[in-house]
Amino acid sequence: MTFVVTEACIKCKYMDCVEVCPVDCFYEGENMLVIHPDECIDCGVCEPECPAEAIKSDTESGLEKWLALNAEYARKWPNITSKGVPPPDADAWKDVPDKYANHFSENPGGEEDADRARAA
Amino acid sequence: MITGPSDSERRARIVQAIVDETGVTEQIIEKLVHAFYAKVRVDPELGPIFARVIGGDWGPHLAKMCDFWSSVMLMSGRYKGNPMVAHMRLKTIRPEHFGRWLDLFTRTARELCAPEMAEAFVARAENIARSLQMGIFYRAEKYPSAKRPQVS
Repeated sequence: MTFVVTEACIKCKYMDCVEVCPVDCFYEGENMLVIHPDECIDCGVCEPECPAEAIKSDTESGLEKWLALNAEYARKWPNITSKGVPPPDADAWKDVPDKYANHFSENPGGEEDADRARAA
Repeated sequence: MITGPSDSERRARIVQAIVDETGVTEQIIEKLVHAFYAKVRVDPELGPIFARVIGGDWGPHLAKMCDFWSSVMLMSGRYKGNPMVAHMRLKTIRPEHFGRWLDLFTRTARELCAPEMAEAFVARAENIARSLQMGIFYRAEKYPSAKRPQVS
């Protein structure tokens, strides 16, 4: 069992989850985070932390595709262990529909990403 | 930009809700952790496994486990580690050990805590034990392929 990050994270990427995760199992893309399903210990601490309510337990139905996406990108993106700067327009993207289809980025996140956000 | 409550305010509210609902405190966590590992040390199944890794000095492990449970129950962020890897290194560990671990933990929690608080601890412990057990022993079945996901 694991928790998974879902569509609501895209372009919001608040990263509050990263601060409370005891096992550092978040990985950072350019505009969203994912959870490494093999590292998550299902403690559930991150779930209520997410302002976008993007984190769900994989015991919920219909999350198979998101579990696969989390598993894939956790292997491709860098590990994130401390909270960076969220996008300045994060709040404006919170309830936007179809973010995966229109805005998902395969690019890894990281330092440059944080620098860009700081400069913005 | 619309500004919501700051992260620290949000977290304080979440933690306060947990405390109000369950009564969990750092003191209780410490008491539970120490009482639980006192049982583990003398347990015929689990004792030897822990003894091999920990040796004679339980102080650092107990402190680490207090940090772990503080992070899990009160979101203190004090523990940072990789328990999945730590458990995978244990050559003598078997799937049934997680059931034993959970039995002892549940018994200790129910001995020391009021019912709501005990159940809050046990609920987390069940998820964590199951997740470690599955991660270590059934990983291959859980994620058989690394195919590109199609999310629509």
